[in-house]
Amino acid sequence: MRVAIAEDSVLLREGVAQLLTDADIEVTARCGTADELLTRVAEDLPDAVIVDIRLPPTHTDEGMQAALTIRRRYPEIGVLVLSQYVEVALAMQLLADSAEGVGYLLKDRVSEVKEFIAALRRVADGGSALDPTIVSTMLKRHRSSDPLDSLTPREREVLELMATGASNAGIADAMVITQRAAEKYVSTIFTKLGIPATGSESRRVLAVLLFLRS
Amino acid sequence: MAAVLPLLPERQRAAPRPALLWALGVAAVAACAVTAALASVNEELYQPAVRVLLVWWVTLPYIFAGIVAWRRRPDSFFGPLMIFAGFVTQLSVLQWTSQPLLNTVGQLCDLLVAAVWLHLFLAYPSGRLAGRRPERVVVIMAYIAALGLQIVILLLGGFNDLHLLTVVKRQAAAEALQNVQLLTLSALALVGVALLWWRWRSLPWWLRRRPAQILINCFSLTLVMLAALLTAGTFQLPGFEIIRLATFTAAGLTPLAFLAGLLDARLAKAGVGELLVQLRTDPARDLEELLAQALRDPTLSLIYWLPQYGSWADQDGNPRALPAPDSDHRVTFVKQNGEQIAALVYDAALGDEPELVEAVSAAAGIALENGRLEAELRARLQELQGSRSRVVEAQQNERRRLERNLHDGAQQRLVALALELGRLAEQANNDPATQDRLKRARSEVAESLDELRDIARGLHPAVVSGHGLAVALESLAAATPLEVQLKTAGLPRLPEQLEVAAYYVVSEGLTNAVKHAQANRVTVNVGVSEETLIVEIVDDGIGGADSERGTGLRGLADRVEALNGRLRVWSSAGKGTRVRAEMPCA
Repeated sequence: MRVAIAEDSVLLREGVAQLLTDADIEVTARCGTADELLTRVAEDLPDAVIVDIRLPPTHTDEGMQAALTIRRRYPEIGVLVLSQYVEVALAMQLLADSAEGVGYLLKDRVSEVKEFIAALRRVADGGSALDPTIVSTMLKRHRSSDPLDSLTPREREVLELMATGASNAGIADAMVITQRAAEKYVSTIFTKLGIPATGSESRRVLAVLLFLRS
Repeated sequence: MAAVLPLLPERQRAAPRPALLWALGVAAVAACAVTAALASVNEELYQPAVRVLLVWWVTLPYIFAGIVAWRRRPDSFFGPLMIFAGFVTQLSVLQWTSQPLLNTVGQLCDLLVAAVWLHLFLAYPSGRLAGRRPERVVVIMAYIAALGLQIVILLLGGFNDLHLLTVVKRQAAAEALQNVQLLTLSALALVGVALLWWRWRSLPWWLRRRPAQILINCFSLTLVMLAALLTAGTFQLPGFEIIRLATFTAAGLTPLAFLAGLLDARLAKAGVGELLVQLRTDPARDLEELLAQALRDPTLSLIYWLPQYGSWADQDGNPRALPAPDSDHRVTFVKQNGEQIAALVYDAALGDEPELVEAVSAAAGIALENGRLEAELRARLQELQGSRSRVVEAQQNERRRLERNLHDGAQQRLVALALELGRLAEQANNDPATQDRLKRARSEVAESLDELRDIARGLHPAVVSGHGLAVALESLAAATPLEVQLKTAGLPRLPEQLEVAAYYVVSEGLTNAVKHAQANRVTVNVGVSEETLIVEIVDDGIGGADSERGTGLRGLADRVEALNGRLRVWSSAGKGTRVRAEMPCA
């Protein structure tokens, strides 16, 4: 797999690059600004990009704009956005059209090396990776006559994993159950929440998010 | 007050010395005597008595009205100009003598008075032509025709042989030139009439007063007669003497109309009584409006002198400048106990009624002093407001800077450290003790990062600056464990100060709803209406919130007020809480 990185902190940029190299991932570009990333991506298309949301010169939303631009111009490139804070509204912006090949994680997640690499691969393969805090924040919302109340604790756990972009196999791994059991959970949840079942894993991420936000 | 304007009032022109005025009066009388004497020795003069009377008629009223005008309106050139017109007429009489030098002077001034009259009428009421281009051109052309051409005619030996200027004798050329001169002057007189009427028409209705109307009529009549007289002179029409009689009669009426106007202005002071009654019965009424009414000038403005600020200010305490000396507005200063307290700024056309302006400002004395104190108070409030918003702004800048430093410094380093620990854990041997210690270290770092994140977010909501209020509020609403209905449709990007303040208002309102109000549902409305950002948070909780007691709400009020806005909280027990902030966007 080939990945380009945009991160203005040199320390972090080199750390992430090292991490990727350790995992036999080729780093095609190490950029400090959003413009540089866009140029380098155009020169040499990677499978995925890792973008810090706050980049020079104004450190406001340059990284976000670059991420959205890449998603628009090169739908086949996976885009993984990293940030010190995760915002539900920005997640919804990133996933506005589809949850395919997109991820939005807290920067801290790089320390969970295996999970981080797995999330990156998933995004590069057209899947999605949403930070668990986004999902848990959204789940905390209280609604009158909330269909979420009808879920069992195990089902809620599965819902959270599903919303972060985990595949059925991933859910099975995380919960130490069989893949068949995981599939069963997923279909029960869809029925209880009244969400029409969808085939692809990334499409169901969006469906769950939209449900949670409504 | 942010802008201190060290503006002192223009010094008014000093009144002419009485001795000078007396001397002018005596000179006028003496000149009239000389005129009579000259007429009595000149045997060629047709109807000498009538001529003398006519000269007196167009001399004395001008000089005496000019003296009165100069004394009462030292600022205006109109008085001196009138005096000048009177003496020029007198000088032209010198052509009645055969003494060569005096005769030359007399002949030079023969037509000059026509130009001076035109000048005088077009320069009413200020006596100046500054800024009035067409009038200027007409007056300059009139002087060239009346004096310049006259010199050329005399050089060519025109009129007679009594003067000293003849260089060559070209009678025919001189006569032709004289015809050109007379026709030019009569045309200019008619153009002058047109200009007078055009200016009159373009005055706003409230300035078209009766005395001025009469005066303009006199000017016009004189100029029309003058044109007729000059034309009659050119073509030697019959009835020349009668036209001369009529012209001079009309010309002599002008200063009388002017004096009548002055008298009328004094009479208009009676209207001041009405102002006094209104001030007494309704002291709270807008003083500026009352004065504008009393002076019949809707453009009038009242400004106060604030000694502490060394500046003029309007009644709301906003700094104001006096009008420039050459602007179309004039100033009258109001003094009390020798100190200036206020100034009336009014249309320059009112400049011909300074008595009225003075009477009105004197009548408003006490009310003006009160108004000044109020303006001063407002200015102080504004100053306070200014320093408060500067403090809040400085504080906010500092907090944003700290947040940036945390983000780029400690947070990045901790993430890098976490990453390094993660890599170590990957590569370290599978010794359970080592793995365990690494895991603990990583969770320590993760917790530090969480804490730092909270601190940084508390310092400054970076998401507001980075992605705008609407995005920030959406995240805020999503993170609130209540049913939040958020309406931010059509919200534009606003100055950061405003966005951050609005963010805190919503954040505090939501926190209050969650922690204290026991609410189930919250509605948040944020929008811009009439240049005002309106933020409203309504919950269905138990109510009873108090902006004075709760430090959260009090702090919010400070923040909002520093931006010139206001925060209100309605929270009666059992009826939910409504927090509404309004902040001007401009």
